[in-house]
Amino acid sequence: MKPKSKAMGRVACLLSASIASLLRGAGSFDEHPYSLSASFKTPMDTLAGLTDWAQGINYVYAITTVVVAIVFLAVSIPLVYAIRRFRVSDEEWGTLVPPKQVHGNAILEFTWTIIPVILLLFIAVPTWQIIFRQPEKHQVPANAMRIEVIGHQWWWEFRYPELGITTANELHLPEKTPVYFEISSADVIHSFWVPQFGGKMDALPGKGAENHLFFTTPVLQHPEKKGGEYYQGQCAELCGLSHALMRFEAVLHEKAEFERWATVFHNPPVVQTDLEKKGEQVFMQCMSCHTIEKTPSADLEKQLLAMTPPAHKAGPNLTDFGSRRMIAAGTRHNTAENFHDWVHDPSSIKPGSKMVSLGLPQADIEAVAAYLRYSTAKTY
Amino acid sequence: MAKCLPNTGVISWITTVDHKRIGIMYAVSAFFFLLCGGIEALLMRTQLAIPNNTLVTAGTFNSLVTMHGTTMIFLFVMPLSAAFFNFLTPLMIGAPDVAFPRMNALSYWIFLFGGLLLNFSFVVRLAPDGGWFNYANLTGKAFSPSHAIDFWVFGVQILGLASLIAAINFLVTILNMRCKGMTLLKMPIFIWTTLVTQVLLILALPVITVALVMMTFDRTFGTGFFDPAGGGQVIMWQHFFWIFGHPEVYILILPAMGIVSEILPTFSRKPLFGYTVMVYSSCAIGFLGFAVWAHHMFTTGLGPWAQALFSAATMLIAVPTGVKIFNWISTLWGGQIRFTTAMLFAMSFIAMFTFGGLSGVMHSSPPIDSQHQDTYFVVAHFHYVLYGGAVMALFGGIFYWFPKVFGYYLHEGMGKAQFWLYMLGFNLTFFPMHFLGMQGMPRRVFTYAGDQGWNLWNLVATSGSYVTALGGVMFVVNIVYTMATKKKKAPADCWDGRTLEWSLASPPPEYNFAVDPEVKNLDDWWHQKYTHDGRRLTPRYQPDVDPATKHLPHPSFWPIILAAGLEIVAIGFFFDEVGHYISVAGLVVTLLATYGWIFEEA
Repeated sequence: MKPKSKAMGRVACLLSASIASLLRGAGSFDEHPYSLSASFKTPMDTLAGLTDWAQGINYVYAITTVVVAIVFLAVSIPLVYAIRRFRVSDEEWGTLVPPKQVHGNAILEFTWTIIPVILLLFIAVPTWQIIFRQPEKHQVPANAMRIEVIGHQWWWEFRYPELGITTANELHLPEKTPVYFEISSADVIHSFWVPQFGGKMDALPGKGAENHLFFTTPVLQHPEKKGGEYYQGQCAELCGLSHALMRFEAVLHEKAEFERWATVFHNPPVVQTDLEKKGEQVFMQCMSCHTIEKTPSADLEKQLLAMTPPAHKAGPNLTDFGSRRMIAAGTRHNTAENFHDWVHDPSSIKPGSKMVSLGLPQADIEAVAAYLRYSTAKTY
Repeated sequence: MAKCLPNTGVISWITTVDHKRIGIMYAVSAFFFLLCGGIEALLMRTQLAIPNNTLVTAGTFNSLVTMHGTTMIFLFVMPLSAAFFNFLTPLMIGAPDVAFPRMNALSYWIFLFGGLLLNFSFVVRLAPDGGWFNYANLTGKAFSPSHAIDFWVFGVQILGLASLIAAINFLVTILNMRCKGMTLLKMPIFIWTTLVTQVLLILALPVITVALVMMTFDRTFGTGFFDPAGGGQVIMWQHFFWIFGHPEVYILILPAMGIVSEILPTFSRKPLFGYTVMVYSSCAIGFLGFAVWAHHMFTTGLGPWAQALFSAATMLIAVPTGVKIFNWISTLWGGQIRFTTAMLFAMSFIAMFTFGGLSGVMHSSPPIDSQHQDTYFVVAHFHYVLYGGAVMALFGGIFYWFPKVFGYYLHEGMGKAQFWLYMLGFNLTFFPMHFLGMQGMPRRVFTYAGDQGWNLWNLVATSGSYVTALGGVMFVVNIVYTMATKKKKAPADCWDGRTLEWSLASPPPEYNFAVDPEVKNLDDWWHQKYTHDGRRLTPRYQPDVDPATKHLPHPSFWPIILAAGLEIVAIGFFFDEVGHYISVAGLVVTLLATYGWIFEEA
């Protein structure tokens, strides 16, 4: 823990820096993290909705904002006027003849009971429109792609039953496709949320407590770029120590690219160098919790699931780990250094992490890093 | 034993059953807990001032979040409101005391012990960390094995008991002890909001009491009400919690609305505009408050019909609330407005509460709420309502009635400085949180990455919280200065008031009214001072009499002993081996105290 005075010093320093950046003008310093432009266009911007579901929300939101702004003016203008117009000096007050003792006015009071009701209808009707547009379970179109979302302390599991894919922390989606999420939790309550794709939905533990979310994925904003577009998601319900660090990324692909991703996903790891071979051996220590398709870890998983009751592995599936942009549930970039820090002491990066430090020697960490970061990388 | 107890000194305060003294004790305790809650808030804001800060750990932060919310609601706003109920209710309705004076003392001591138990968790480094709504199953034994959550469960259970006892007391007092002529629709509006608040407490608290018992059973005896592993449902806890939790919001705001409705007429020298409609709207708010709980759960998968109905009910609450706001403005209209500190706080209440109310209307729409739920937008919303609203009104009430309670005016200059520091600091802290929420910053995160675009607004918010803290310091200085110098003595009717308490000396004598008052009008005290065309009359202030001639309830030791017994019962649950002996011992103390109480001459 750092001393408080040092933190305060940093605060003061940053405060002056941010004021300076504000003075320089918004827009001109896009990259400065304290500039106004950076503070209004962000990875989790709820106003930058892209899906039909998100845009439906923003349609209600826009109407509501107008209604609310009208009411705010209708209150604040007479309030400010009355306060200024009818103010009396402290000396005069109490010596004057009291004003007319008005007890009320039935017509006025009736008016400002009725007008809010009418204004509220402007919010209520579009609200109900959007609520009922979200289909219930039995109304989901048959062609929708089904994805199971499972929240864990503190990472996300994504399963594509029709494609036989299980992955973690990176949600791959084809563009312009109806998708249907079945959201649940393996432990406590989490909340699944990609702001640019729309509102959140809680992930509840327990049988029959699955929640559903349906939307059509948006078109790619920059179709010329290869490798997909990244959108950020985050758990939105307090779920324990590392709730703040339970992020994930949604990757939107051009349809053919998504098909390729789903195909190469099943390729076995390509182990080439000696270091990678050593890493493959070291990974044997990891397979009680982690699975990589087409390796012994996958066989172990099958055996565990065949037991009664089925035993689930505690950690994320790592089949396409090498292709993931981030590690540790979307909180660190997938670099050798971050990988080392994570494996060396997971709870220093993610407090309370269920992954324990295995006390691997430096050489083993480097080997398993090579195996996971290169052998499991898929090109699509 | 009671008769020979002294009239001054510590013992006199411990054994007092005087509603005025109990009111003062409630207020002092509430401000002590405000200090705790305030420090927690400052620590959180300092942690979040910059991205990736390491001032506090994730665990500490979760405890700060939980304890800040719990403290500000259960240990600051509620007891400070109770302080006003205590001090003012008998004075405003012309009664010698509350209906059950010893029960009044009992509820105070139970509250104090409950608050201390809750905060004792910091001393043993087991502060609760499940958030102020303590959602199952994160707070079950499997995911929170330590006693941290037990501090919350038992603390809130004890505090609920205190509020329930007090609520019954005030309900009976208001219904039975009004002076001659004071029909229900001649009661001061503050008494009306107090009455509605007590009804809400009596109806809402049993729900959380039962839910807390179930959670205690889950945690202590391994039942599975809220645990999917035991066949229970996590959503059940949320329904229970919010069936209590939403009326609780009105329990926090209605007393504040009552205070504002007293201050605005006095300093406008006009009666409250539309008194009857204000009464009905308070009742309507209280009634509708029970039909909207699921709007806290719009993202839990309620389904479209529940969403549609609960959103409609929620929007409906805006109607009586809007009526209140326009009636307050109309009270100011055409008046003679004096800018006292109390009046500044009351007028700011209208503006800040409206603002918070309007962002609340936004959340009443489930689609919008699905984006805003659990983000800083919600944090901004409820701080505008509860801080810009309730807390500003409560401070207004402090400045308004302080001269009545202690006989001296608070320093107006310092008061206004505090007001402006609060306004500036409050808006700096919470206005940018709307942006943070819209930019997707979730609540209850102990840190955030630097590339999220949340840096600037967090820094602004943190700087605002320090400005607010300065305002708090100003308030403490003001109190100390006023009581140390005792410069400006307050007369009985120091603000040219409208209600009965202003006919009493400042501070009022122990027996309250020497002559039983009789009222003919709403705002009777005003009508004793002025004719309809504004000519002055000579009002009859309450005379002084020899206190020995008045029958007063005797002081008693039993309330504090009974409260201590209940506390010991709860403490037993924290010990694994000898716990049940401790609990049984506490039960024995409770029963003995009850026995002693019953046979004591009241």
